[in-house]
Amino acid sequence: MALDVAPAREQTRARYPDESGYVERDGVRVFFEVYGTGPRTVLLLPTWSIIHSRQWKGQIPYLARHFRVVTFDGRGNGRTDRPLEPAAYDEREFAADALAVLDATATARATIVGYSLGAQRGLILATDHPERVEGAIFIGPSYAGGGKPLDERARFTWEDEHDTDEGWAKYNKHFWLRDYRGFVEFFFSRLFRERHSTKQIEDCVGWALETTPEMLVAAQYGQLLAPEEARKLAEKLHCPLLVVHGRSDEIAHYTRGEALAEHGRGEFVLVEGGGHAPHARDPVVFNLLVHEFVERLR
Amino acid sequence: MSVAADVREQSRARYPDEEGYVERDGVRVFYEVYGDGEPTILLLPTWALIHSRHWKLQIPWLARHCRVVTFDGRGNGRSDRPHGAEAYTIREFAADTLAVMDATATERAVLVGVSCAALWGVVLAAEHPERVAGAAFIGSAVPLAPPLPERTVYPFDERLDTDDGWAKYNLHHWLTDYRNFLEFFIGKCFTEPHSTKPIEDAIGWAHETTPEVLADHDAGIDLPIGGDFRELCRRVRCPVLVMHGDEDALHSHARGVALAEATGGQLVTLEGSGHFPQARDPVMINLLLREFVERLP
Repeated sequence: MALDVAPAREQTRARYPDESGYVERDGVRVFFEVYGTGPRTVLLLPTWSIIHSRQWKGQIPYLARHFRVVTFDGRGNGRTDRPLEPAAYDEREFAADALAVLDATATARATIVGYSLGAQRGLILATDHPERVEGAIFIGPSYAGGGKPLDERARFTWEDEHDTDEGWAKYNKHFWLRDYRGFVEFFFSRLFRERHSTKQIEDCVGWALETTPEMLVAAQYGQLLAPEEARKLAEKLHCPLLVVHGRSDEIAHYTRGEALAEHGRGEFVLVEGGGHAPHARDPVVFNLLVHEFVERLR
Repeated sequence: MSVAADVREQSRARYPDEEGYVERDGVRVFYEVYGDGEPTILLLPTWALIHSRHWKLQIPWLARHCRVVTFDGRGNGRSDRPHGAEAYTIREFAADTLAVMDATATERAVLVGVSCAALWGVVLAAEHPERVAGAAFIGSAVPLAPPLPERTVYPFDERLDTDDGWAKYNLHHWLTDYRNFLEFFIGKCFTEPHSTKPIEDAIGWAHETTPEVLADHDAGIDLPIGGDFRELCRRVRCPVLVMHGDEDALHSHARGVALAEATGGQLVTLEGSGHFPQARDPVMINLLLREFVERLP
């Protein structure tokens, strides 16, 4: 697929935040936004910093009609700082940022929504601070605690030089530094497996180009949840849980989500034909699930 | 682009509350009615290349505010596909519209049409003012300004030794490689980026009819209407809204300008839009239509 220049100017929005600001932790400034009012808050968590909070653009305007919505740019992209120390990207740092944003926005409790990597920091937040999380929704979770890896992705190591750039060989430190755009275009074309995804791909490529491969490399050395640890956290979850996963997800196999739902005793919704980001490609389907889930918490 | 013709109908955001057929001279025309508000908006058929599903992004929203009537133009959808140019004249489409209005007990309606629907829309507004409360036209294919120069290079009926670009708008090419023509033509229809879905839809609908029908329809449109079109435009008394994309690659923006001028209507230039903004920018078109309808006397 040939992609034209990704727009760096921000696009117009269907809805603008009612409040925005920064919180600072250990010298890292994190940018947050608040939309709408109401007794229930939905916190839209950051995912891998290759993209930022605009990834929720299909959710915010609708959810903000029903709930208060808080979101923030994860460290590494958007209007948040981009430290280059790997330790700054430990999963626990993202969870701590989320907590700081809850405090800064005077949010006592929220339903958290995490996409992909967002599930890891979401699990940490929900189990370390159960009093702050009243419900958890995870989409296409990258959950190490169960489910199958994708064979195609496992063929190439990230750190070694390979003699090919084909396919998933692009998911590689050296390739990122050599041809970041090439990687980004490949990655997002695999992320959206649904037809008619040209707009979503263009958006994501644009957001990815707002940061640098150096940041991604640093973040790659940040600490992820180990499989046993992830499973332990899932089993510790006490709040209601909903996991949504696309059956055709080529980034994280849908059995990952299935396992997370099982371990966390939650509900699992499999989106037939869905890729890794059903919330971006089928926002109506996803938004109605969120609406119904939060309403049921009453 | 390779697109499989999908003739199974897709699911809809809203289904009609009423549907049926009217018959004129042995030709059955299929109509649908949605909602029950005031006034009635009648979404007109256009060229038989596509059918009433091209209004799929207008119907669900408009039907929350108004009553919506639409029908498949003869030549596609669930309407008959008669033979011969005489079955596809501008006046036949105008007469079908009146027959659908009668069958649905629609005394008066706001007419909305895209592309060549403006031809029958103007006839109805000029000659049946008591039935037409207002008229809104999008990407109007009206002979009030010259066609785009690239569309006048090749004759339609003759065999050509090329099928480059607009040479594909040729009967022999249609008969030998209909899909190739559709991919070209419908591609021109949608000049906006990220139009893969409306392109796929339109190609699918176009496969529900045949190039022979399209040729008859083209010839039918060219048959005399018994008067000058510009003169008919001048007779229009109802409020008129003309919306035209400034990047319309099928019918120049100048045609929209001329139609607004000739009918005394309001012109809205849609920046960056192609020929089918109702499919690519439905929110904008829907809001313009609602505003137009609300302002009607």
